[in-house]
Amino acid sequence: MSNINGKVYAMNAITPMKPWKTWVVRAIFFTLGHVKSLQQDLINLSFIEFARWVVVPRQRFPYLGNGQVKEDLKYDYLLFFSNFNGTWNQYIDAFSAVLSNGLNLVWRWSEKFPGSVPVTLFKEYIARVQFDTDYYFTAYPHATANDLKSAHIVQASLDSLVQRAPNCTPEEFRSAYLNFVIQVQAHLGDTGEAPVIF
Amino acid sequence: MSKLNETDIQGFVLRGYNLPFARYLFLHFEDSARARALVGRLLPVITTGQRWDHGKPQSTANIAFTHRGLAAFDLPEATLLSFPVEFLQGMKDRAAILGDTGINAPEHWDKLWLDNHVHAWLGINGQSPEAVDARCSQIQALMQETGGAMQLAWQDAAAIMDDGKPTSREHFGYTDGFGNPDYLGVERSTQPGQGKLMPDGTWAPLATGELLLGYADEAGELPVAPVPHILACNGTFMVYRKLHQNLATFRAYLEERSAQYGGGMEKLAAKFIGRWRDGTPVELSPDWPDPAIVQDPNRNTNFTYGADPQGTRCPIGAHVRRVHPRDAFGFNGRLIDRRRITRRGLPYGRPVPEGEPASDAEDRGIVFMALNASLSRQFEFVQQQWIEYGNDAHQGNDKDMLIGNHRGHGKFVVQGDLSATNPPFLCTHLPNFVELRGGDYFFLPSITALGMIAMGLVDPR
Amino acid sequence: MPNQNGSVYGLTILSPIINDERATPSHDLQIRNYLATVPTGEGSPFALAPGTHLARLVVMDDVIYVGSPSIEEHLHSKYLVFESNCDGDLDSYLLGLATAVPQHLDAIWSHCVGYPGAANPQAFAAYMKACQIETTFYFAAVNDKSVPETLRALQTQRAVSDFIARHQGMNAALLQAEFAQFATRLKSEPLPASGSMGPLRGLKTGGRNE
Ligand code: HEM
Repeated sequence: MSNINGKVYAMNAITPMKPWKTWVVRAIFFTLGHVKSLQQDLINLSFIEFARWVVVPRQRFPYLGNGQVKEDLKYDYLLFFSNFNGTWNQYIDAFSAVLSNGLNLVWRWSEKFPGSVPVTLFKEYIARVQFDTDYYFTAYPHATANDLKSAHIVQASLDSLVQRAPNCTPEEFRSAYLNFVIQVQAHLGDTGEAPVIF
Repeated sequence: MSKLNETDIQGFVLRGYNLPFARYLFLHFEDSARARALVGRLLPVITTGQRWDHGKPQSTANIAFTHRGLAAFDLPEATLLSFPVEFLQGMKDRAAILGDTGINAPEHWDKLWLDNHVHAWLGINGQSPEAVDARCSQIQALMQETGGAMQLAWQDAAAIMDDGKPTSREHFGYTDGFGNPDYLGVERSTQPGQGKLMPDGTWAPLATGELLLGYADEAGELPVAPVPHILACNGTFMVYRKLHQNLATFRAYLEERSAQYGGGMEKLAAKFIGRWRDGTPVELSPDWPDPAIVQDPNRNTNFTYGADPQGTRCPIGAHVRRVHPRDAFGFNGRLIDRRRITRRGLPYGRPVPEGEPASDAEDRGIVFMALNASLSRQFEFVQQQWIEYGNDAHQGNDKDMLIGNHRGHGKFVVQGDLSATNPPFLCTHLPNFVELRGGDYFFLPSITALGMIAMGLVDPR
Repeated sequence: MPNQNGSVYGLTILSPIINDERATPSHDLQIRNYLATVPTGEGSPFALAPGTHLARLVVMDDVIYVGSPSIEEHLHSKYLVFESNCDGDLDSYLLGLATAVPQHLDAIWSHCVGYPGAANPQAFAAYMKACQIETTFYFAAVNDKSVPETLRALQTQRAVSDFIARHQGMNAALLQAEFAQFATRLKSEPLPASGSMGPLRGLKTGGRNE
């Protein structure tokens, strides 16, 4: 049982919301999903591989009969699942430092949310509403989101050089190869073990 | 912001003394009452942050304690347990986190550190070796009179001299001592490049709480601190690391690799760390060293990396770009404002001029000391994430070229362009140019806190 | 549709766990115990079946009480949360799981209410969809690459880095020849296993140091 596999951390969090507020959250996510510039901050933060928010309305917990008792809840719930690189503290510090407005927009509708600044209260809240992962799989434990992006750049650059190479004279090739090296030179970091989590 | 009480803060915290000679004593306390008596007698000797408007003193003295040292004073358990976990554990127990493994693992450290006997660091700086000796004898006399502490060992350090004049060079030949953060209320005037980057591109001092406990920090809150408040306030944490430099290995590697590098040896040396050996920032002057920039405080720390995302001027993995990325991670530098450390340190061991034979075996390196409000958030983060790892800089597992624990497998990419004198170049099979020989985490209390400790008057609330 | 981001799919499933006081240990603990034994690397069921980038399984014991003045309330069932970030089309993904690793799926989900078993992949897929909750907002750093493409790119990146290091300063004709060989070798190299620590440094990249 671990929240960690290689270079990724699996965070799960659940927070209660008064049902009328759920509609606000949905509206906010609807615009977030459609406004690229807000997503851009998440991309620039660059250590989230995948993340999602899932609203579970109180009557919509899956009910399959067969003797299962129907849930009877006062709150709707907001589930948050993130797959991020680096340490828990680094992740929350960064969120609080550069995404506080966005986070407040999403979570202020949850009960007792203290705001994402100052960071210590925010961390206490996250720690309280977080629940642990039993089983975590990643297809590439040795890579981070940044590593993946770099690898795709290297692959694309290589593919185009491979296409050109056979038609080049050695001198043309030398120059094409130098251009290729320059294209990939900022993307050659090794993949491998993650540092010890602290 | 409240004005700092400079008479309550140890001088070592507020400024680099710029005194060329130093001796660090490592003490062990045997009896709490006698140890307290010693601290009481030392109090008048401790150098505070008060300004030296009438000239520098001949010497200074400052003191800091490990967690075991604080426990030796019989502080209340509730106070001792309120210190951050990394300080409770000490640096040796953090080895795996810090990447202090292999040749840098604690089992290879100097004997001093192996049995956890170090309780206090007593730092003496002076204008001359004689001044250091004199101060040292004065303190040793107090130790003897009170029977308060046993001296386990000492470490001498000194600036490298040029014709009898102190320089700020370190053993590899680089000029050090430019980059250090400015803090609100600490500096009289601030220098561009030393604080935090503002959205309009100007620089402002960092919040005081990034250095000192008891003040607001960059997250808009008081830093996590032990109780009671008055014990913590005006104090800070210090990491002490004795970093051995393998001078022969460094010189040989540089010479061998630069033979294949189109930019030549001095340029490759500059690319390693992001400054030419005279100190010129590569980002500002990528093709040659420029003494005019080095001399100019408005320029010598005033640069950013945002316009150089590919690292064609300053390589992405160069030492100074790693340990202080400025705007390199976007968001106007806000991701790095709480990862800054204040460096205080000096070289130790015999310097070897360029061209004279050097050996790795000789005892030589840097006594690296850094101050911060949170060891884990600041020093440990920089050490683990930016020196021993590279993800934030999009460098994967590649480590800091100069000080990474490479074990012969390291790689460093010198990014370049189409010109013959700035080609892209890979340095592979990196050895360890620097090795760790020991150290620990210390708490540097305020003058008030030292007084409380001396009197045995510390209440947890 | 918020479940989809580019070519990746964000699957969220909450399966109610059987609440049977006579079961010892309880069904939720049996799931936990089993999950603790499932390999997380190359032997993982999610590595054996196609299409998973990242996935997690979590026994959600209850909702969390955040303190007064909010109301304290509890779930009647515990839920098994399955969060997966997978390639493309949901039906083929679920059928792929049922075909490749039915024993694992059965060992885990047989403790859940109404689980039909994976022997009939169609029934399995229908069951999973009955437990699915639509994702409200889904973020993916890379949303246009499949798992095999990703594993391939990571392998390429490492090989390219080695190749460049080994061929610095080589004359053009030789470089071109070595590059052609390298490209061919790399192409025929088997894909590194999903869930593994990546390609070993075994691939020959030629050059002066070999
Ligand atoms: C033997 C070991 C080391 C050597 C030889 C060394 C050398 C240097 C040199 C020559 C500079 C450039 C001068 C300057 O900007 O002040 C520098 C800057 C710096 N170093 Fe080191 N260093 C060493 C270890 C470390 C360690 C262990 C850390 C941190 C954990 C560190 C953090 C810094 C920082 C923060 C800067 C300032 C960067 C800036 O503000 O732009 N150094 N170092």
